[in-house]
Amino acid sequence: MIEVINLCKSYGKIKAVDDLSFTINQGEIFGLLGPNGAGKTTTIKMLTTLTKPDSGRCIINGIDVVDHPLEIKRRIGAVPQENNLERELTAYENLHIYGMLHNVTEMKEKIDEALKVVDLWDRRDSIVTGFSGGMQRRLLLARALLPEPPVLFLDEPSIGLDPQIRRQMWDIIRKTKIDGRTVIITTHYIEEAAALCDTVGILSKGRLIALDTPQNLKTTVGEYVVEFLNDDGKLIQRMCQDNDEAHELARHGEDGVTIRKSNLEDVFVKLTGERIG
Amino acid sequence: MRNSLAWYPIFLKEMLLFRRKLLRLGYVFSAMIMPIIYLGAFGWGLGRSVRIQGTDYLSFLIPGLVAMSSMNNSYSWVANALNLSRLYFKTFQVFIQAPISPSAIMIGEVLAGMVKGLFASLLIIIIGLFISSAHFITPLFVITLLLNCFLFANLGVITGMRAKSHEDTATYTNFFIMPMAFFSGTFFPVDKVPLFVKPIIYILPLTHTNIVIRKSSLDYEGLISLLVLVVYALLLFAYGSRLIRRYSE
Repeated sequence: MIEVINLCKSYGKIKAVDDLSFTINQGEIFGLLGPNGAGKTTTIKMLTTLTKPDSGRCIINGIDVVDHPLEIKRRIGAVPQENNLERELTAYENLHIYGMLHNVTEMKEKIDEALKVVDLWDRRDSIVTGFSGGMQRRLLLARALLPEPPVLFLDEPSIGLDPQIRRQMWDIIRKTKIDGRTVIITTHYIEEAAALCDTVGILSKGRLIALDTPQNLKTTVGEYVVEFLNDDGKLIQRMCQDNDEAHELARHGEDGVTIRKSNLEDVFVKLTGERIG
Repeated sequence: MRNSLAWYPIFLKEMLLFRRKLLRLGYVFSAMIMPIIYLGAFGWGLGRSVRIQGTDYLSFLIPGLVAMSSMNNSYSWVANALNLSRLYFKTFQVFIQAPISPSAIMIGEVLAGMVKGLFASLLIIIIGLFISSAHFITPLFVITLLLNCFLFANLGVITGMRAKSHEDTATYTNFFIMPMAFFSGTFFPVDKVPLFVKPIIYILPLTHTNIVIRKSSLDYEGLISLLVLVVYALLLFAYGSRLIRRYSE
């Protein structure tokens, strides 16, 4: 279980994370959803020992992150937002160095296995510089999985990938949720949070504004959206709790009214008045 | 892996990268070019006509160039590589997130810097053996060379950790490394400098390296300089480890 308690981090006058508290149950895929600058990466950096919080606590499986960083590092894997592979080393060398740093035993077998999971085994002896963005993201994931950590952090795992490759990445991420592994994802992609996460925390300006399953979040604000253009050409959206309410509203509306199911972007707009993307 | 060997993956990574760099001729030439220019300009230019400390100038100059070259390369490669990996490539964060101690990271980085410094020094030593008849390689020479590489690789880690941008590393180099290269007894004995400058000269660690590296056996002056280098090295190692321990983004 992961507990985040009253976590705060500021950079100068900017509050990147502002009194953040939530709990993540073991074995779930937990998503932190929000626009750029919402505080998602800063939160992940504090949970993975890269950034020291100003105040508050992070506890992973009963161990305090600030008080016992070495113990935490033995239990977590992290895929950062940016590619931090050694570009001039091969895929195998990257995993080998990482495995040594994390005391991985039966190294060769586990590297082979990790590379096969992400479909890069046939490129194991290629220099990383020649890899596409998608291949580099997959290799980062293989590297994080190598020590078989019980907790895995993925910071924007499919950022910059085209839709088809992104879906492949999602399939691999779903597979990582084995043996009770807890997976924490940050994303600003609505579809990614909806497709992968058991629970979603919505962040805005460093604060948690909602936390629930994707379905419950949508139910809370309304499962259906009625959209139409007003006289000024501005898109108007009305949230409705059910299909009947949506059709009733649409009947009284003007031409060009559409009804669709709500998504997490609608939840974010309803709660903050702003858009994620 | 045992705790005592926790530094090894960091060292290994640097050596794998270094091996690839060695395959590019440009790297080898860049390590050699400045000392060769100095050898040509000062050594051959002044070597035949000037005698210093009872020996010809070339024999005086070569150990100094070895000291300078070991300083430059141990320092620069660590400072630049660490700074780039910390600020731009973010590969340093892999070490920070690994379950190893800050001193293990420090040892790995410093040993890698020493290898690069020793490699550059070896090129100068080989050239020196060809062009000079002096027997400058003594056990004290080797110990001093290793200590100098260690000391400046530590300083490289500190610069790599403290510099706020890659351009910033040049500021550190211009303030600390460049003056040392020219005023610490590489090209002329420090007793030739004006009296009021001497206290500053004797603060610089390369001055003490140049004193010891030219001695055939350890006398009182050499012992003091050796101790100064050891104290500097330990202090810099402790400070570098502290910077890594307190790392936070």
